[in-house]
Amino acid sequence: MLSPLSFLQSRNLTIPEISILQPADPFLDTAGEALRRRIFLSEGESGEALCLRPEFTIPVCRHHIASHANTPARYGYCGTVFRQRREGGSEFTQAGIEDLGDTNEAAADARCVADAVDLLAMLRPEFKPNIVLGDEALFVALLEALNLAPVWQSRLTRMFGDNAKLADALENHVTLPAALPFDELDFGAIVTRIEAEMLAVGLLDSGGRTPEDIAARLIEKRVLAASGISAKVREILTAFLALECPLDQAESVLKQFQTTHQVQFGIALQHFSARLVAMRHASINAANITFRASFGRSLDYYSAMQFEIYVASDLPLIGGGRYNRLMMLLGATKPIPAVGFSMWLDRVEGL
Amino acid sequence: MITLALPSKGRLKDDCIALLARAGCNVEISAKGRAYRGKMSGAFEADIAFLSASEIARELAAGTIDFGVTGEDLIRESVPDWQTKLTIMKRLGFGGADVVVAVPDVWHDVETMEDLGDVAAGFRALHGRRLRIATKYWRLTQEFFTAKHGVQAYRIVESLGATEGAPASGAADLIVDITSTGETLKANGLRILADGVILKSEACLVSRAGLKTKKAAEAASLLALLAA
Repeated sequence: MLSPLSFLQSRNLTIPEISILQPADPFLDTAGEALRRRIFLSEGESGEALCLRPEFTIPVCRHHIASHANTPARYGYCGTVFRQRREGGSEFTQAGIEDLGDTNEAAADARCVADAVDLLAMLRPEFKPNIVLGDEALFVALLEALNLAPVWQSRLTRMFGDNAKLADALENHVTLPAALPFDELDFGAIVTRIEAEMLAVGLLDSGGRTPEDIAARLIEKRVLAASGISAKVREILTAFLALECPLDQAESVLKQFQTTHQVQFGIALQHFSARLVAMRHASINAANITFRASFGRSLDYYSAMQFEIYVASDLPLIGGGRYNRLMMLLGATKPIPAVGFSMWLDRVEGL
Repeated sequence: MITLALPSKGRLKDDCIALLARAGCNVEISAKGRAYRGKMSGAFEADIAFLSASEIARELAAGTIDFGVTGEDLIRESVPDWQTKLTIMKRLGFGGADVVVAVPDVWHDVETMEDLGDVAAGFRALHGRRLRIATKYWRLTQEFFTAKHGVQAYRIVESLGATEGAPASGAADLIVDITSTGETLKANGLRILADGVILKSEACLVSRAGLKTKKAAEAASLLALLAA
């Protein structure tokens, strides 16, 4: 019987020991407080928050950083993860691969998708998987190309992957009140005023927001107040989010989109095309993958390609993507490009 | 005879007893130091258990008591899936207070949750840590920030008292707390966001879900008295 572990071993991966008990802060810091109710929290002797590992990506990345390993490095894992749910069991088995530090991102992306597809094919060759793939970098590039105010760019990027929220934001975006505090003052003058106020209430140097932070956002809001989202921009963004086609046609669809709407995806499209070439080299049949422009997995450390694989259900069997932002968030001293996927083995076995 | 749990101290206790008195019920606290038990007589007879308001919410959810008076904030905060376990029979019109999001007044750029979302998203890049919220309302905060407003980039700092002092002491950047007049917040240099009211809470008569017919009938007659 072929096992996920034998698959990982055949791929020449490092398979690190990952302790079941993990510090909770890295998970809560990166995935957000909403995770708190879904993990099993405990406390160490000196009061530090610990949890049963809810997933492997963050522990594997932390292991890489702590062991000062050279890059590129590829890690595999297979083991139990623990999640609290209202109903049903709370132990699940996950297997996956994390690919850290390969600067040829197109090749690493293609290898990631190929490994995910191969692992599933090895375990359940009788099923034809549905693969959905998106690329957040295209959306970010489009926002920039449309010259949206930086605040709008970051707000809409945060919503990427949540189509209801995005549609709502585009439809009902709030136009800010014309009268903002200190409207007549410049940056330096606002800082002086806020400094005095903070000093008076004991908030200066409390280790939180500074007068400069507040003044910078007030200036930003002035720009924002003067620049909403025009009907034309809304129309272009809505059209982009509706794009869906077989991945082998995505490049021409995106180029057509550029011509139709007079915008350029720039370097993001070059990366997208390079990934398609790398996928061909990795013998991935892009015609069997659905490109969906709006597809994202709603975690703020994902940066570009994201994908999920399904068979006969809305619950993904595999989720993965590129997370170039995560390593620095976890304490790496320099940027480390990273891509990986994780498979829910219980779901695969339950097919 | 049913047992009714009432708050064991403070304004909430006095208001409960006054309300029952207006409905023709007399609450007597047991003598001999057993101040946590009592009897109600007059228009409606019941045993009274005096518990802290948060215990009442928990015990109702656990099914160990059938009826009680407690704050809606405590029900929503301490009981997961409360709608399946408890029924709010009547909002009692006292003990009113709002659970709110309050930021330092000097944050002139932050008027709404949308502003706060912007600040939270950029916070780690500027300060090397997540934005911190001091509160005892973990659940309400998560539901409001994450589910309702899509704000995920924050950490909760547990605060069990004097939450309003957390921003000045540097323990947190902002707070989620309960307030009735807003005076304490104001005195601490804090301001409620324009759309920052998470819950308008008040004291409620609450029953355990799935009461037997006989107890449900008694509950109905108590309710009728209070409504009169």
